[in-house]
Amino acid sequence: MAASISGYTFSSVCYHSANSNSDHEGFLLGEVRQEETLSISDSQISSSEFLHIVEVHNHEPCAQLFSFYDYAGKVNEENLNRILKDRRKNVIGWYRFRRNTQQQMSFREQVIHKQLTNILGIPDLVFLLFSFISTANSSTHALEYVLFRPNRRYNQRISLSIPNLGNTSQQEYKVSSVPNTSKNYASVIKEHGAEFFDKDGVIKDIRAIFQVYSALQDKVQAVCAEVDQSERVKEKIQEEVKKLKEEISLRKRITAAEERRHQESLNTENHSLQDDSALSDSSSPPSLTRVLLQSPPLEVSLDWPPNSTALPLYPAAPAPPPAPPSAILLPRPQAVGSPGHPSPGLGLGNGDGSSSDSLNRQAIGQEDQLEEEEEEEDEDEDSSEYENLVSERLQSPSLTDTAVSLGRPAALWPDGDTHSSGGSS
Amino acid sequence: MNSLSPEVALSRISPELRPLLCSVVRNGRVGLDSTNCLRITDLKTGCTSLTPGPCCDRFKLHIPYAGETLKWDIIFNARDPELPPDFIFGEDAEFLPEPSELPHLVAWDAGDPDCLLQLVKELLQQYHQYQCQRLRDSSRLLFEYDSLLEDPNYGRSMEIYAGRKNSWTGEFSARFLLKLPVDFSNIPIYLLKDTALDPGEDVALLSVSFEDAEATQVFPKLFLSPSIEHALGGPSALHIPAFPSGGCLIDYVPQVCQLLTNKVQYVIQGYHKRREYIAAFLSHFGMGVVEYDAVGFTKLTLLLMWKDFCFLVHVDLPLYFPRDQPTLTFQSIYHFTSSGQLYSQVQKSYPYSPRWDGNEMAKRAKAYFKSFIPQFQEGAFANGKL
Repeated sequence: MAASISGYTFSSVCYHSANSNSDHEGFLLGEVRQEETLSISDSQISSSEFLHIVEVHNHEPCAQLFSFYDYAGKVNEENLNRILKDRRKNVIGWYRFRRNTQQQMSFREQVIHKQLTNILGIPDLVFLLFSFISTANSSTHALEYVLFRPNRRYNQRISLSIPNLGNTSQQEYKVSSVPNTSKNYASVIKEHGAEFFDKDGVIKDIRAIFQVYSALQDKVQAVCAEVDQSERVKEKIQEEVKKLKEEISLRKRITAAEERRHQESLNTENHSLQDDSALSDSSSPPSLTRVLLQSPPLEVSLDWPPNSTALPLYPAAPAPPPAPPSAILLPRPQAVGSPGHPSPGLGLGNGDGSSSDSLNRQAIGQEDQLEEEEEEEDEDEDSSEYENLVSERLQSPSLTDTAVSLGRPAALWPDGDTHSSGGSS
Repeated sequence: MNSLSPEVALSRISPELRPLLCSVVRNGRVGLDSTNCLRITDLKTGCTSLTPGPCCDRFKLHIPYAGETLKWDIIFNARDPELPPDFIFGEDAEFLPEPSELPHLVAWDAGDPDCLLQLVKELLQQYHQYQCQRLRDSSRLLFEYDSLLEDPNYGRSMEIYAGRKNSWTGEFSARFLLKLPVDFSNIPIYLLKDTALDPGEDVALLSVSFEDAEATQVFPKLFLSPSIEHALGGPSALHIPAFPSGGCLIDYVPQVCQLLTNKVQYVIQGYHKRREYIAAFLSHFGMGVVEYDAVGFTKLTLLLMWKDFCFLVHVDLPLYFPRDQPTLTFQSIYHFTSSGQLYSQVQKSYPYSPRWDGNEMAKRAKAYFKSFIPQFQEGAFANGKL
C-alpha cells in the first residue's frame, strides 16, 4: 500500500495543527484507487500485482476536541455529519496532532477509529498521527508523522510520500497525480484555458506539430511515388540500352562477316600475290582495329547530347518533373517550428553534398559519363533542389539512399545544409 | 527517565490539573503492592512552546502490578482541563478496555480530585481481566488460575501478569501475585515500631513466577511489608519451601500461608510467654530485680546475694521463647577482666523445659542459681581482679 499527500495539503494540516494550543484533529479527504501491474516475463506467464494507492487531496479540521464523540469515546453520527457535510463520501481517514507524545495510537483513538470504520463504511480507514517533539530549551522542534492502517493486523504503518519534498537536485520535479481540487484554480484555468487548449482539450501546439508531421508524411509519400515512377523509367531505359547493345553487336558481327567475305574474295583474287600474306595479316588487324575503332563512335553516338539524340530514346528523361516546383520543394526547417524556406547558395549537387560524390563513385559503366554530362547540364538549372531530384532519379543506388534521407527530417540541420546520413555511406 | 518527587511534579503541572495529580501522587496506592506508590515521570506539555509555564499536561505513570511496573502515558489538555484524559498503555498495544466498563471515564468529573485515581484503579481492573484472558494460551496456567479463583481466600486478591510470549522459543511466562490472608493484627506493637518508614498496611505477598507454560520452572518468592519482616525476625522470615514439582498453587499457597501463620503465632505466643516469665520472676525475686524490659519483655536483670557475694544475672529472652532457652549471664560486681569489663559468665544450657510455666521456671532458676553460684564465685576470684 502506498500513500501520498500533496505538499500544500500537508503544509495546511501542519499549519492548522501547529497553531492550535492543544491537541488537534480532523478528517482526511481524498481517494483510494487500486493499481494492477501485469508483468510478463520469459520465466512466467504473467503475474499481476495489486497496489492500493491512497491519495490525500484535502483535509477538514475540527474546531475543537470532542466535537463528534463523547467522554466515553462514542461517536455521534449527527455531529459527524455536521462537520463533514457533503464531503462525507470523500473521507479516507482522519488525523490527530499531539505534542510530546509517543508515536502510538492511544486508547481513545483506537476506540474512535473502530467506530468510524463502521459508520463511514470504509474498511481500510487510515489514521495519520502527527507528533511534535520539542527539546527542553525549545531549540529544536521535530514534526513527526506516521500513517497507520489500524484495521490490519500486520504492517500497520505505511509510508506517506510527499512529492517533491526532499532532495530534488538529483531528480526531476515530479508532477503529482494528486489533483488540485480548489474551485478558484478550476475557474481560472477555465477562463484562460482557451489560449492554450483547443475545443477538445488538447494543447494547441501539439496539434500544430501534428500538422507539420502529417505534411512531411505526405511529401514522403509523394516522393515515394516519384521514385517508383523513375525506377520504372530507368528500367525501361536499361532494357533499351541492352537491346541497342545487342543490335550493335549484331551489326558488328554482320559487318565483320561481310568484311571477311570481302577479304576472302580479295584473297582469292590476290592468290598469286602470296608474299603479301604478311601484309594481309597485318592488314586484318588494321581492319579489325578499324572495326574496333568504329565501335566507340557507335558508342559515342549513343551518348545523348541532351538536346538531340537523347530525345527519341528517352523522351521523358530530362524533362522537368511534371509536378509544380512547390510540391517537390521539401520544406527545410531552419529552426524548430518555423516553416521551411529553401536555402539559397547551395553548390553543385551539394544539396546533399556528399551524395553527389557518392553518385560519382557509385555510377556503373556508361552511366558515369551520363552523370557527368547531366551534372554539367544541371549547373544551368535555377534551383539547386531540382538538381537533386533530376540527377538523382537517373542513378539507381544513390537514388534510393537519397529518397530515404529526404524522408528523415530529423537528419536536417537548422543551418540549412542537409547532410543525409544515408548519402554519406 | 528521572523520577520526579511529588512536589516537583505538582509544581510543574498545569494549575487546573493539579488537584487530580495531587491525589494520585499523595494517596495513590493501587493494587496489592501498596508499599510502592505511583510514580510520575516525563512531564511534558501539549501547549505551544511559547506558552508560559507551568503548563505540563501529560506524563508517564508508573504503576506496580504483579511484580512488574506498568508505564502508562496519560494525556490531558491544559487548555481544556475539564476534558477526560487519554491513555497510551505502553507496550501493551493490544490492551483495549471497554469504555463502558470505566464509570469514572464515562462520567468524568474534573472537579473531583479523586477522579483520576479512581479511573486508574478501574483501568487496572480491566488490565487484570485482560491478563487473565491471556492465560488461556496455556491450559495448565489457566487451571491454576481457575482453581485459585474458586477459593474465596485467594480469589479476590490476585494479580496476574501473563508475560509476552517469547517469539523465538514460544515460551510463555506468567506471574501470580497473591495476597496471603494472614492476620497480623495481634502482633505486638513494640515489634513494629522500629521501622523508620511509614509502614503502611501490613501485608504478605506471595509471588510465583512460571517461566514456562508447563509449570516445570516455578520460582516462588515471599514479600513482607518491612514491619512484619522485622517482627518475624528479619530476612530469615522470608524463607519458604520450594515449589514442589508437579504441584499446583492451590496446594502450595495454603502451605505457605500456614507456615506464615505459625510463625506469627509463635511470635505472639512468645510475647505472652515472656510476659508471664518476667511476671513470675518479679514475684519470686521481688526486690532483687534491677530492671526489666516492660514493653517487649526481652530482658531482665537481677541483683542477688549469696553468702555476702553479690552478683548480677542478666536474662535474655529470645524471640521464639519458650521454644528457645533464655540466656543467663552472670556478672560479678567486684571483679574486672583484663579488658576492663566486669567479669561475667554466660550460661546457655541449664536445666530447662519449655513446658514449664512462668512460676515453675522462676523456681527452677532460683535453684539453679544456688547451685551455680559457688562455681561462679571461684571463677570470679580466680580470673578477675578487684
